[in-house]
Amino acid sequence: MTSPFNRFSAQDLVVIGVFAAASKVTTLLVALAGGGMNPISLMGKNLIFTMLLVVMLCRVNKIGTLFLFTIINIIVSMLLLGASVTLLPPLLIAALVAECAMYPKRESESVWNKVLGAAIFDIVSKSLSLGLSWIFMRENPAMVIMIIPIIVIGYIGSVGGLFTGVKAVKELRHAGIIRY
Amino acid sequence: MQALYDTKTSDDLKDIPEIDVRARMAVSFLASIVTIIISSIEGQIILFVTSFLYALSIRRYKAVFIAYVFMAIMIVIASLFTYGFSLLLPSMPFSINGVLVPFLRGIVMLNVVLPLALTCRIQALLTALKSLRLPFCIYIPGAVMIRFIPTFMNDIKQVSETLKIRGYNLSFGEMCRHPLMMLRLMFTPLLFRSLRTSEELGMAAELKGLDANSRFVPFRDTAWTNKDTILLLLAVLVSAIALTYHFMWGTIPAGGMV
Repeated sequence: MTSPFNRFSAQDLVVIGVFAAASKVTTLLVALAGGGMNPISLMGKNLIFTMLLVVMLCRVNKIGTLFLFTIINIIVSMLLLGASVTLLPPLLIAALVAECAMYPKRESESVWNKVLGAAIFDIVSKSLSLGLSWIFMRENPAMVIMIIPIIVIGYIGSVGGLFTGVKAVKELRHAGIIRY
Repeated sequence: MQALYDTKTSDDLKDIPEIDVRARMAVSFLASIVTIIISSIEGQIILFVTSFLYALSIRRYKAVFIAYVFMAIMIVIASLFTYGFSLLLPSMPFSINGVLVPFLRGIVMLNVVLPLALTCRIQALLTALKSLRLPFCIYIPGAVMIRFIPTFMNDIKQVSETLKIRGYNLSFGEMCRHPLMMLRLMFTPLLFRSLRTSEELGMAAELKGLDANSRFVPFRDTAWTNKDTILLLLAVLVSAIALTYHFMWGTIPAGGMV
């Protein structure tokens, strides 16, 4: 039995790698340019991440793309940026739930199935991240409360990213860059 | 980050003890697990002191100092917010001990990541990634991601220079005043660049016949030396001491959990 990931061509894998890098660098730069935790940069970096996610899901229209993207992102973050191993379970669960939500309309070329996947990934990963924050800061519950508005503001940015993602996909389809 | 992708051999790097990337990755991985488990101040202090010595061993004092200044600013902001919450919610009193452990966790991770980020070269990282025997579908995007980051940074520089030439103000204030316009100006060319690069790299990969059955030959073999083994053993020893101290004599801050 062949692995479901063997259905990805080298070109698909390269696209996933490039988008993983693009999302990492742009979100990092927006956070730095914004001087840390101000609401605009928080929304901006989430907006860009979700927008890139929607464009990538439309560019690589295959089951498991989001799951693979999440694995790559977390492996590189863990190895290079020192991200904690505890980030892995919430992101993988979120990616799996999103893949399951996209599965019934997997053959569809509509952008809305991808938007659904990205929306579910965002909300599940952010909810689980809140639980993870509690593990990190269990010594001081006030710090966990402080994180709730940060996550909510970030989620507003993610919702904006869904709409800008749809718009970007339309433009890219019109330009012939996304063929599906 | 910049040092990671610097292809020149600087004089600073010549003095740094040569440690295999895999050993540094293992130390970072171990620290991320141990620092989560330990919730006592004493255990975290053991981790902090040893990880700080590890960070100093790379002899990039200026970079370590800058990283610490940024960390200190973030700690002060977070402490002020936490203090504000304690005034609004008296059931969550503010105490130095209560905020110390979460901050020490962050500092320990900073200490173990700095040697990895400041001393490892991109080719060493790619070789290390290959030696981990990851599946093709993970290795290719991972390698592309690591390789593409410097290209993407360069693209960002070019786009921002182009915008400056055309008279756009890219200051922080302007970003706050017109966030959507700045996003559009900066991000649209970058999205197109990313898609074009992925197209080019994908075609190159297919022309080279890369697929799941390909056999990769590393550009340069990595050698695991005694220094790497010693570093790893020291990391395990320190983790064991910190865990023992935490479970036997550790003081858990008020409101915290074991």
